Amino acid sequence: MTRDHLDPPARPRGISRRAFLRGSGAALALTAGGSLLEACGGGSRRAQLSKAGPLLASPGHPVKWPIYPDNQPIAAGLAPERNATLKLYNWSDYIYKKVVQDFEKKYKQYGVKVQISTFNNMDEALAKIRGGKVDFDLLVPTYDVLGKLVQGKYLRPLNHSYITNIGQVWPVFQNPFYDQGWQYSVPYTVYTTGIAWRVDKVSQDVAKLPNPYDVFWDPRLEGKIEILDDYREAMSMVLLRNGITDLNTGDPAKINMVRDQLVDLAKKVQPVVSTNDYVDLPEAKVWVTQSWSGDMVNAQYYMPKGQSADVMRYWFPADGRGAVGSDLLAILRSGKNPVLAHLFLNWMLDSDVAIENMGWNGYQPPLNTINPKELVSQELIPQNLASATVLPQYFDSGFRQLELSPSVDSLWHDAWQRFKAGA
Amino acid sequence: MTAPPTQVAPTLERPRGVSRAVRWWRSPWRPPRLLEAFAWLYLAWAILPVAIAVWFSFNAGRSRSTWQGFSLRWYWTDPVLSVWHDPDLHSALLQSLRLAALTTAVAVPLGVAFAIGLDRWRGRVAATANFQMLLSFVLPEIILGVALLLVITNLLRFIALGTTAQFLGLVTFQISYPAIICRARLLSIGRDYEEAAMDLGASPLRALRRVLLPLLYPAIFASAVLVFADVIDDFVIVRYLSSDAATEPMSVKIYNSARATPTPALNALATIMLVSSLLAVTLGFLVYRRMTRGERRGASGVEDFAAQL
Amino acid sequence: MAVRSSRAARGQRRAAAARGAWYPRWFWPAFAAPGVLWLALLFVLPFYVVLAIAFGAIDPLFRNPVPIWNPVEWDLSTLGDVVGHIVGRQAYLGPAVARTLVFVVAASLLSLLVAYPVAYFVARHGGRRKGMFLTLLIAPFWVSYMMRMLAWVNLLEGDGLVNRALRATHLIQQPVGWLAGRPSTVVLGLVYGYVPYMVLPLFAGLDRIEPSMLEAARDLGASRVGTFLRVTLPMSRQAILAGMVIVTLPMFGDYFTNDLLSGSPKTSMVGNLINDAIGTPGQGGQGAVLVVLLMLFLLLPMLYYIWSTSRASREGTA
Repeated sequence: MTRDHLDPPARPRGISRRAFLRGSGAALALTAGGSLLEACGGGSRRAQLSKAGPLLASPGHPVKWPIYPDNQPIAAGLAPERNATLKLYNWSDYIYKKVVQDFEKKYKQYGVKVQISTFNNMDEALAKIRGGKVDFDLLVPTYDVLGKLVQGKYLRPLNHSYITNIGQVWPVFQNPFYDQGWQYSVPYTVYTTGIAWRVDKVSQDVAKLPNPYDVFWDPRLEGKIEILDDYREAMSMVLLRNGITDLNTGDPAKINMVRDQLVDLAKKVQPVVSTNDYVDLPEAKVWVTQSWSGDMVNAQYYMPKGQSADVMRYWFPADGRGAVGSDLLAILRSGKNPVLAHLFLNWMLDSDVAIENMGWNGYQPPLNTINPKELVSQELIPQNLASATVLPQYFDSGFRQLELSPSVDSLWHDAWQRFKAGA
Repeated sequence: MTAPPTQVAPTLERPRGVSRAVRWWRSPWRPPRLLEAFAWLYLAWAILPVAIAVWFSFNAGRSRSTWQGFSLRWYWTDPVLSVWHDPDLHSALLQSLRLAALTTAVAVPLGVAFAIGLDRWRGRVAATANFQMLLSFVLPEIILGVALLLVITNLLRFIALGTTAQFLGLVTFQISYPAIICRARLLSIGRDYEEAAMDLGASPLRALRRVLLPLLYPAIFASAVLVFADVIDDFVIVRYLSSDAATEPMSVKIYNSARATPTPALNALATIMLVSSLLAVTLGFLVYRRMTRGERRGASGVEDFAAQL
Repeated sequence: MAVRSSRAARGQRRAAAARGAWYPRWFWPAFAAPGVLWLALLFVLPFYVVLAIAFGAIDPLFRNPVPIWNPVEWDLSTLGDVVGHIVGRQAYLGPAVARTLVFVVAASLLSLLVAYPVAYFVARHGGRRKGMFLTLLIAPFWVSYMMRMLAWVNLLEGDGLVNRALRATHLIQQPVGWLAGRPSTVVLGLVYGYVPYMVLPLFAGLDRIEPSMLEAARDLGASRVGTFLRVTLPMSRQAILAGMVIVTLPMFGDYFTNDLLSGSPKTSMVGNLINDAIGTPGQGGQGAVLVVLLMLFLLLPMLYYIWSTSRASREGTA
């Protein structure tokens, strides 16, 4: 049977012409598609990158931000927007709802409603603002990201005529180094970062230890330690433990040391890493926490029924040589209600409102009408937590966490990632 | 003469002293008591924690573990913190329901059409499409969530984060559910009915509409119910694609609050979510029972319903 | 005339049916087209974007990732970095990856061990109560995952019911910190969350086994255990595979279970690594690389599952 001549000719070995054409066609399509996407996505890669390096502000080098021609403040004397939803983007549990409702009542004739959205850390907030088309009106940033926000034109410059209460603010904040002439921000709260503990669970007096920060590494407290889920705060604490007072160091050796000690911390005590210390300590989920001063004042309201808040203590260096900070209120350019936003800033600087807010979230506002020494007698701060008061002189002797340059920030973030990955 | 040997009681072969307990244990026809106990234990373990959480949503005090009396305060009587009065929790509830309804309305038709097309289409493209669909079914949600976030913030920038983005992401994630369920049902239906219809003179579209679709209704319904409940439960995608607090559905609110200091209002919110899912499922099941009156296998339609899933 | 032409038309149609060209060629693909387009735009395209970001650049000011669209310009250094951090000398991502594997395998096996007896019981011995059992088994599906985890968070707190019960029965003296970074809590949480997804496919598979097969085995002299091992188990293999795939693959991307049940980095999983990296300036590229690596890792079991399902359905044993 000779059917060979009926069979199709044998395929040549190796890649056939059709397969080759298909493959090269695919490669061509991919490259062409890539260029097409580039065009759609908005310019070449180079055009999308910002100019390198923000201006870095520090107490020794105060910065007055420019007002850009395409980002001018609003005019004076405008009427508030009607039937608007004012969107505030804030840390969770950081503003008293009643204060917000009172603002709504005050401007009821304009039909304003305030909506609060929350974030858990500054990175998350920045990512949202940068990434999506969100239209928040107000933001509560820390000053170490202010430069980035201003240079990225995410903040709207302020028109001072709406914010008359600024006169009540501590002088150091009326012309702060991070925003000379308060063009983009007003202060919201001031706080210190220290150590909080429960005397009914921890036998030693943390305040009397030669190096109080060492308590975090005590293996006897395994599983009962909490540190803040904030890379700057946690790593600054380690720096202070080692007597390094430059909390903005870019020295790789120092950063590596911090990283190693954090990993050591994880091995020794398995700390909880979160910002819920104001709940965890009263509930005795943990016994020693790294805390912000305001959190500790707030913690008294979270004690379980029948237990007294007397058991908690807070330590911050008496000479003021510890980590201090302040939070700001700023207006976002993407917001649709700039006039209302200005009025809200003014509202929060009113001393009655600020004290009411402090009564709920525990954080001290830097207003002249509030005498820190009287906060204890006014029972806003409990006696056993008197050290959580923030005194103006702390800002002379204390150490601040300033904005880092991107390369240094990257080193800090890498070290933090290593700790969080649970190595 | 021919009494089946299995009918003889085993006791005849055993010494008299053996206790009844051993006999009871060793009887070959005993119901599987251990297995049954295990099954009940499993059900208790699966359902009790949730039941306790629901129970504590009616707690008069702030605690979620100490019972302080019965009260509806977390549902509507508390003027500040209850679900009824807290605008945050309100908007979360509405957002969950809104997303569920929208997604179901779009994902189910798309998925059903996809299944019909894939079932009858042959060729390599069909195989690729099939693979794509199965992939979207078993992929961890975080991969899809991150991919969608990146595509919306870098390429498709005209889509704003928020309800639109969440809706698009959810449909993408859910499209495979109806597709798989309907595909399975189509396999069991076969092509005979349509061919008979066309023999009788119907056009292809008509045969589809009048013959195939009614046969598919149970599967379509089951998948609609499944998609609805699944979207209410969804977390990863809606969280990545949310913008402000108004676009955070209940699952995200629970996640945010559970790590802080939730009041029983959170339990109340979760209970409401549970009840709405259950209502949707019960409704769907009752409709399904009615639809499949003729061809039901089991005593209740539950087994068939479950077999669809 | 009309009668003859309609008969002719019918004859033509029948002939066409015999050839299989009854429907126009575009008919079925047209049905699938919307779904295919949707998936192409919102499923396939995003993966290209992930690649573009994984091999992309980083904005120097805000340190957010910037995609590079042209594959020719892709920068593979981030890939090298991440792989190095997983398996290199200074591997700090490696422990999290290894831990994820351990957690997922442990949780999947535990789920199987828990789900199989239950599914077996309901399928084979459900009897008249099968419907009721099924309803109860399906119930956890309709309870949101978050709520189920929340329920456990409530129970496992310092003064929660679990600790109180244990102290009341004097099994422990001090309250145990269940939620303070314990791997066992996370694994059990994963099992609790995913086991309902395992029970249903197992039930479906076991239900389909013909009772006559098992009776035949018993008739041929096999014991209970023998029947189970030699007949039931092999016949339920496809169902076990389906259940494992539905449970194991999504578990690899889980990060919220760990977040809810443990505040500690000690139990972080790959999902946590990805979630953290995406949210951190400067690490978006790393997050994208991790996503790509996870996808590649999961592609193999997925392909195996799809191949196995299609083979089983062809052999008629599905």
